[in-house]
Amino acid sequence: MHTRIAGFFRVAFARRSLRWRIAALAAASATVVAVVIGVAVHQDSWDRSVAEGEDLASEALNGAEGSYLATGKLSATSTATGKVVTTGVPQPLLDAMHGSLGVVGKWLDTTRPDWPRMWAGHHVDGRLIAVWVDLSHIFDRVHDQDVFVVKAAVGTLVVVFVVVALLSELITRRLRRVSRTALRIADGDLTARIGARAGDEIADLGSAVDSMAVALQQKLLIEKRFTADVAHELRTPLTGLVTSAELLPDGEATELVRDRVGVLRVLVEDLLEISRLDAGVERAELTPVPLGELVTEAVSRTGRPVELDTTGAALVQTDPRRAERIVANLVHNAFRHGSPPVEVSVAGPVVRIRDHGTGFPESVITEGPQRFRTGVTERGRGHGLGLTIAAGQAEVIGAELTFSNAAGGALATIVFPAAESVQG
Amino acid sequence: MTAPVAVLLVEDDSVIRQALAATLSRYGYAVTTAADGLTGLELFQQTQPDLLLLDVMLPGLDGIGLCRRVRETSTRPILMMSARDQALDVVSGLEAGADDYVTKPVDTSVLVARIRSVLRRAGHHQADAVEPAGNGLLEFGDLVIDPGALEVTVGGTPVALSATELRLLLEFAEQPGLVLSRATLLRSVWDYGWDGDSRVVDTCVQRLRTKIGADRIETVRGFGYKLRT
Repeated sequence: MHTRIAGFFRVAFARRSLRWRIAALAAASATVVAVVIGVAVHQDSWDRSVAEGEDLASEALNGAEGSYLATGKLSATSTATGKVVTTGVPQPLLDAMHGSLGVVGKWLDTTRPDWPRMWAGHHVDGRLIAVWVDLSHIFDRVHDQDVFVVKAAVGTLVVVFVVVALLSELITRRLRRVSRTALRIADGDLTARIGARAGDEIADLGSAVDSMAVALQQKLLIEKRFTADVAHELRTPLTGLVTSAELLPDGEATELVRDRVGVLRVLVEDLLEISRLDAGVERAELTPVPLGELVTEAVSRTGRPVELDTTGAALVQTDPRRAERIVANLVHNAFRHGSPPVEVSVAGPVVRIRDHGTGFPESVITEGPQRFRTGVTERGRGHGLGLTIAAGQAEVIGAELTFSNAAGGALATIVFPAAESVQG
Repeated sequence: MTAPVAVLLVEDDSVIRQALAATLSRYGYAVTTAADGLTGLELFQQTQPDLLLLDVMLPGLDGIGLCRRVRETSTRPILMMSARDQALDVVSGLEAGADDYVTKPVDTSVLVARIRSVLRRAGHHQADAVEPAGNGLLEFGDLVIDPGALEVTVGGTPVALSATELRLLLEFAEQPGLVLSRATLLRSVWDYGWDGDSRVVDTCVQRLRTKIGADRIETVRGFGYKLRT
């Protein structure tokens, strides 16, 4: 259970998982939204702050003008929020007044970022009246708001990333299901289906995989039927031939006929077996089998004098009929193309079959067995299908079959998958 | 001199039918032939042969259907011949109640050996049936086997077993609790020397289970079966 959970996390939260990209995409979208809103809000409050500052400055200017008109004097005095200035009026304020007499000029002085001021100036009776007011408190509010917006945006980002990474399980789970099913189909379970309902692209992917499996299954079914039909069509006349040949009166001619019928029969069976292997319709029925007994059985079945050593044989996971067929074919081959003594030894899950002939031809060792290529120029000593069948059956049961030449003969090695557990 | 063993051969291919009939006649069997399933069923019901030898692929009623119909009323031995690829037909043939099968093309010696083996099981049945009963009942819970009368009852209800099924059950009953491998059973029940097909054992065990109760015979994975005591 614990390892299953660990396994789930390893797959679901893999470094290259799609979920991180989805989360990053969502986070990026959220960032864009936050930046746009942040900028808009900042601009809006800035504008309002400037307008407020202008009002304050106008008020101060009005106050200064009023006092000037009342007293006829203009002095550099400080007010609660600003100051009346007589000298050192900044140039941008003068520019804002266009040098004309009736215009009230205003200028936001941000030359010192920590001390924003709003200037206002007016020509009254030829005298320039200028004031400035301190806007620090107003612009501090804008700054606080900006800080808050940034904090909120970052917080939202983190939350969005985590939540989306978790929610994307809904998507990645469906994708994992598709790939799991596809793997099962690849492993030969053609009845595996995703069963997705129509909808989004993942569902489309699912139904595409499903229809691929259906097509594969149908193709295999057709192949299966075809090989079965071919088998029937070939075996029926052959059976008549075999049975009739046995009814013939004994004699030299009869022996010749029976011999050739026998060869034909083996050839037909071998070809049928190869066509089944080629069609991929063969499925192993795996079960734990004691390898020593299996090899002993297979060897005795060949009826050949073999030096057999099964000490140290293990329990293997295999299909006994196919395994016996492989061993028997290799033993037959050793006698047919090699020379006695033929030795068969079993050690753990490994079976070695060796003879003392001229060894396998180079092409068998490098390319594997080829149909009807026996390595001997003379015909009639077997048809080279035995090794092909052995190799094909080994593939079906997941055993590893290799051909090599040891000192003084051919050596075929079969490694069976070990049995998972012994039940009893 | 006893009457020759009557064999009903159902085979659609005329060459195989004639050649097999001639071969079996040479071995002393009284052979009746039919070319299709329905005729075969009719002939079986009329003549009640000692052995039914039939092809799987037959026009009309196929071999599997014929086998099933015969098994409804009879426990006589049935031997199937299959020319198609085994896995497809053999298992369904055996499940339908055949005692054994051979694949075509079949050697005469192999076919005759199979016929003898199946008949021996059935003969065992008949020969023992005339012996007086009472040499000790074998009881496993409510499963009672009378090896003398060759009767099997489950909870007092008699169960009809074919010769092969009965032979298999007796094999288990003689060694209760002991695991019997498929190879052992093939040798002792089916008389196979070495070229047996363990699916024969598996399907026969399945059939036996459906008749006497599924949990009485335990599967020991990779080795064989045993009778639960």
